[in-house]
Amino acid sequence: MYPFATVPENLAAFCRILRRRYGFKIGPGELLDAARALDVVSLASEQAVRHALRAVLSGTPEDAAVFDEAFASFFFPGPARVPRDEMPSTRREPGSGAEGREADATAARSTPRPDVDVEDTSGPGGGAMTPFEAAEGPEEEASVFAPSSYSPLEADDVEAPELPRVGRVWREAAQAFVRRLHRGLSRRWRPASRGRRFDLRRTLRASLQTGGEALAPRWLRRPRRAPRFVLLVDGSRSMSDHARTALKMAVAMAGVTRVEVFTFSTELGRVTSEVRRAAAGESCRLEGVHHAWAGGTSIGACLRDFLRRFGGRMLGRDTVVMIASDGLDVGAWETLRSAMRELHRRSAAVVWLNPLLETPGYEPTASGMRAARPFVDTFASVTDAAAFARLSRLVRLRT
Amino acid sequence: MTDAAAIQGRFRERGFIVDEAFATALQIMLAIEKPLLIEGPAGVGKTESAKVLAEVLGTELIRLQCYEGLDAMAALYEWNYPRQMLHARLSEADGSSLDAREAYMFSEKFLLKRPLLEAITRERPPVLLIDEVDRADEAFEAFLLEVLAEWQVTIPELGTIRATHKPHVILTSNRTRELSDALRRRCLFLWLPYPSLDQEIEILHARVPGLSDRLAHQIARLMEVLRGLPLQKAPGVAESLDWAMALMSLHRDRLDASLLSQTLGCVLKVHEDHDVVHEHDAALAPILGSATPGLESGGYSLETDFGFGSVSKPRA
Repeated sequence: MYPFATVPENLAAFCRILRRRYGFKIGPGELLDAARALDVVSLASEQAVRHALRAVLSGTPEDAAVFDEAFASFFFPGPARVPRDEMPSTRREPGSGAEGREADATAARSTPRPDVDVEDTSGPGGGAMTPFEAAEGPEEEASVFAPSSYSPLEADDVEAPELPRVGRVWREAAQAFVRRLHRGLSRRWRPASRGRRFDLRRTLRASLQTGGEALAPRWLRRPRRAPRFVLLVDGSRSMSDHARTALKMAVAMAGVTRVEVFTFSTELGRVTSEVRRAAAGESCRLEGVHHAWAGGTSIGACLRDFLRRFGGRMLGRDTVVMIASDGLDVGAWETLRSAMRELHRRSAAVVWLNPLLETPGYEPTASGMRAARPFVDTFASVTDAAAFARLSRLVRLRT
Repeated sequence: MTDAAAIQGRFRERGFIVDEAFATALQIMLAIEKPLLIEGPAGVGKTESAKVLAEVLGTELIRLQCYEGLDAMAALYEWNYPRQMLHARLSEADGSSLDAREAYMFSEKFLLKRPLLEAITRERPPVLLIDEVDRADEAFEAFLLEVLAEWQVTIPELGTIRATHKPHVILTSNRTRELSDALRRRCLFLWLPYPSLDQEIEILHARVPGLSDRLAHQIARLMEVLRGLPLQKAPGVAESLDWAMALMSLHRDRLDASLLSQTLGCVLKVHEDHDVVHEHDAALAPILGSATPGLESGGYSLETDFGFGSVSKPRA
């Protein structure tokens, strides 16, 4: 059952695979906890070991979903040994499982690098490398992604786009935008020199200096509540220039507040971590989101997908949803309409940034845009930093 | 109480069905004294599991319900101000020094313990349930990290209070917000999905005594289908239990199409979801068994077999 001779060796090697190939966040602390957990459960039972390690080593539902597959391919290399478990992800074949995982686990992970396999062979134990060979998933994955761009004719210009760098002007615009948008007052109380509520605790504490007489009253005030932002960028061919502007907005905003960024065309891709890295000054390509870049657009289906996978934890009455798209949709407008209705219902504001607004005489009459229009709170276009800074005046948050 | 099977058994005695993954997670949580973060859809028994754990361990349950605006004062401690002020007035005349009075006023006598402080000062380690932690804001999450890591609380006036015993901590989250990686790393993690068909039948039998086997099967299978539909609020286990109780109280032991539409309110809580279900009637039909068109129009018919499962009864 175990590829290496001793338990610590197995554990260390397994954790390294999880970390490198599956993007688990495992530090020495987790490794130690895992070792302690294995002390508690019976090592003879595969189930017990698997459940124990899953509880300790995984941190998110996405982790938990791929864990069984990783466990099986490490401890039970070899063809088609389906683990005895009820979790649906384990029923997939290794290749398709990895692919499904990549779609689910989103861009929060780094994309798999085929070269890690070479590194791994230098691990403890040297020769017996079957577990690593069995988990050759990433090789296939890379090839799955490459040809999935929308049109074979355009294969040359759809290389992963680099995220734009933003200058001070953009950053300040983002700051202005975020600062002006606030969603009323938070439910917390903070000490303040002038506030609405009497702060008994601090007043009393201060009164001790004056012999128990409360001479200097202290006050509490509710701070402003910052909204959350979700930015959905249309990466289809008709948008390519404007998408760059939208990504600039995303990078600028990521520098000053929390923003979740997605790109979509025929599929939805989460690029938040790339955008955050770009905001921190790294140069960063949108690897692994080819599918969301430079194809046609099915906005409705992508928004549905967003609602289903991320809606629960990203939408709320503090969320401002911003969609950058020209609204030229190839999907069914009913889908777009129902998705927009739900987005509208579950957010503080829906902002649609449409570059076509710059065109004189443009009316939102395309069927997609017509379906979406009733559920859009602010319809605007952003072409430069100044327009971005002005945007906050146009956006009204619903209460 | 050290191995997973024993935990499963003890939970089962109390009508709470846990699978092996859950039992193992609890076992490890008890053994290595790390908090357990349980995530999953609403209504799968996350909160209930903490209550049952407290019962099983024969210890107290201390619950901290998180909400937006929950702050350290409401979670940790508060001074009893009215009492302090009263004391300040009353002790003016007794001639003790200012220092002595201050020390007395900020002693434990005037301290109101809130759940977190309560949990670390107990003689026996209690079960601390931090419920719906995703509802609290990030600032509170950061504060929670400190408490979960150090197990000590510093009160400026009183000094540092260290935990006598680490409590058994269960955190639950419905994923309305993404929790920070830091919090996740402090915890063991368990994803609690909807139960499988067999588990759900088992749960129904355990929690609704007297429920007929046929009805339990029908409910569980319908639930499986309903959870696969694109609903806004998918029904949880709590809903199936409600539904079973409702049907029991109506003295029905089988579900048909008309009864389904009458009692669907037990299961679906959003108006649009009812429409979605009606669009998918075809998927539900086989579970509802043979169509009984005569019954719907024919007033009432005796639906129970009085516990004689094999009695066949001519239908109207």
